[in-house]
Amino acid sequence: MGSIEGNFPTQQSSGRVGRRRFLRRMGATSALGGAALLGGHEVLHGSGLITHAQAQESGGGQGDHGDGHLGGTVGEVDNERNGFDPHEILTDFDGGEVSKDSSGRTVREYEFVTIDKEIEVAPGVFFPAWTYNGRVPGPTIRATEGDRLRVRLVNASEHPHTIHFHGFHSASVDGIPGAGESLPGESFTYDFIAEPFGTHLYHCHSLPLVQHIHRGLYGAFIVDPKQGRPDAHEMVMVMNGFDTNFDGGNEVYALNTVAFAYSKKPIEINAGELQRAHVINVTEFDPINSIHIHANFFNLFRTGTSLEPDEFTDTISMGQAERHMIEFTYDQPGNFIFHAHVTEFIDLGWLSAFEVV
Amino acid sequence: MAAATATSRRSRIPGWLGWLLPVVAIAALVSLFLMFNPIGSLRELPPVEAVAVERTVLDVDEITLEVRNDGPDPVTIAQLLVNEAYSSFVISDPKLDRLESATLRVSYPWEEGLPLGIAMVTSTGVTVEHEIEVAALTPEADGSTIAVYALLGIYIGVIPVAIGLFWYPSLRRASKRWIGFFLAFTVGLLGFLLIDTVAEGFELAGRTAAALDGLSLFALGAVGAVAALAAFEQLLERRRDSRSVERTEGSPVSGLVLAYLIATGIGLHNLGEGLAVGAALAGGEIALGTFLILGFAIHNTTEGLAIVAPLGSDARRPSLWHFAALGAVAGAPTIIGAWGGGFAFAPAWAALAFGVAAGAIAQVVWQIVRGMSREHGLSSGLGALGLMAGLLFMYITGLLTA
Repeated sequence: MGSIEGNFPTQQSSGRVGRRRFLRRMGATSALGGAALLGGHEVLHGSGLITHAQAQESGGGQGDHGDGHLGGTVGEVDNERNGFDPHEILTDFDGGEVSKDSSGRTVREYEFVTIDKEIEVAPGVFFPAWTYNGRVPGPTIRATEGDRLRVRLVNASEHPHTIHFHGFHSASVDGIPGAGESLPGESFTYDFIAEPFGTHLYHCHSLPLVQHIHRGLYGAFIVDPKQGRPDAHEMVMVMNGFDTNFDGGNEVYALNTVAFAYSKKPIEINAGELQRAHVINVTEFDPINSIHIHANFFNLFRTGTSLEPDEFTDTISMGQAERHMIEFTYDQPGNFIFHAHVTEFIDLGWLSAFEVV
Repeated sequence: MAAATATSRRSRIPGWLGWLLPVVAIAALVSLFLMFNPIGSLRELPPVEAVAVERTVLDVDEITLEVRNDGPDPVTIAQLLVNEAYSSFVISDPKLDRLESATLRVSYPWEEGLPLGIAMVTSTGVTVEHEIEVAALTPEADGSTIAVYALLGIYIGVIPVAIGLFWYPSLRRASKRWIGFFLAFTVGLLGFLLIDTVAEGFELAGRTAAALDGLSLFALGAVGAVAALAAFEQLLERRRDSRSVERTEGSPVSGLVLAYLIATGIGLHNLGEGLAVGAALAGGEIALGTFLILGFAIHNTTEGLAIVAPLGSDARRPSLWHFAALGAVAGAPTIIGAWGGGFAFAPAWAALAFGVAAGAIAQVVWQIVRGMSREHGLSSGLGALGLMAGLLFMYITGLLTA
């Protein structure tokens, strides 16, 4: 394994992916109705758009990342084949199809299709995943406190599945066997009000639970406070693991599924800009996961349920389904790694880096 | 030959075609199966992936593995974990077809004396684990290491056996009863070696790539050795009969021939022992301690006694060069084994070698027992005592090498 220090790619993060993502995003938004565009996606994606437009302008070109990188895996994961890119998942907030109901309340509608799909979790290593909409983690639901969510689950897989949201809702839409489970070929709609505000998650709650969660049926569920939060570059970081040989222990650990995805190609962020990360632990089999950022400290908003930070630290441990919102700013350009401080996870894929520009 | 001609007329098939027909039929069946795969529907299971690590070479900051696909399906090695960390590696060809082998290199700052855990992760996420119990530099086959391994063979094989041969003068003076005792002692000793060889051979068979079937190789070696030694013995007997040389009492072969047979059996065992020690040393499974070498030396000294035991009752003293030859036949293979184990160890070949040794020892035991007289045999008081003493002695000295 290469040494940690001094192995960063020297050239700028690839502008090619940013451009492709930018174009796809434009296509996706223009396909929606005008009202929905204003009320939903456009606003939510604002910061992401700017960042990537800038990345495109700064014209890093196609950086050569072949000269050595962080992380011990050999080769590259084929994101096209997987159908999702960890770098896109980071900032891919989905506001749903937005409309207003008779009382003037914002309604966000989603369709989640469960699909059994083989995904590449480390270069050349394939995992028989169960997915929401073909990606792991599933789509990041983003709503504002008080919005009405209508999430339709369409089960196109071979097993019964649910979506169980962490948040307030009635018993009938709890997303457990007997209350919102949809059998293969069937569908179910979860209808509830998004609250309380915070960084939350959703996951399948069918039995056996370990299988249904660990195989990939989970995602971020972010509820913004009504009064909003300061402008920031926001990211979703789902800490997950994969037991590829099904022996009850993970062979691969990652942020957003792909081992070493953000160390081989660091996340590009701007110096001086407030960074806000929603960090969610869905790691199965290990009781604790954690995040530690280098050369910096962060403001910790536990579960994201308050407007004032709870703590100022550089490392936070989380049990299963625990999640926090962290805010930080890098003042100087450079490469800064961040990783689990359950150090064995680092060597197995949970090692990432920021490239501050 | 009326019947035969009637048969050939009835079948109208030439003799050679009769032999060939089943061969053609099975070839046709194989072709059809390969073309149409009629049982394909029975095997809609995930692939069975198995990889055997056949050889490990530790160099400074580098680990090299020779691996072989010993499962029924192709395997692709996607990633490598060293001590639970993904490590950058180079492989000659990551996709291994059935029985195909590949060389895998990984840069890793391993530490002398500590265990190393290696796991290959296949494309389906299966992990194939390989443990190196004590990491140590793999000796290169240069002049000095070849000499070291030869010295090892001499210490644990040649010298102890030679020392054991010096029991001969005392044996010459011993009474028939005591010679019976020592022959029984030899049987016990060889019996112990046989069990030891079989056990170790089975273990090696287990480590052999499954598709190469180590157990069959072991059996092949054992049966082959028995057959070869039996034929060899008959050859000697025929030559001696024509020259009408005196015989050992009751024995089908002369004492000297029996001594050579015992030396051959022990030599083959020592070849296996050399292989095992050399491979264990090279593979970092054992550290070469003084105690271990002394253990082997004491253990093997009794082998010399076993060789000269049948000479005790011979009237004539064999010439000295026979003793040198007996010692060489029994002891020198240890050196060859140590080289083989140290520089080119493969479990499949080792399983075969242990099979040969087991077969040879079994044959020799049978030969000795057949030659023992009734009154001084294994069932006599002193004989039974000798047998027990042989087993016990080997057990106790064996503890030194455990």
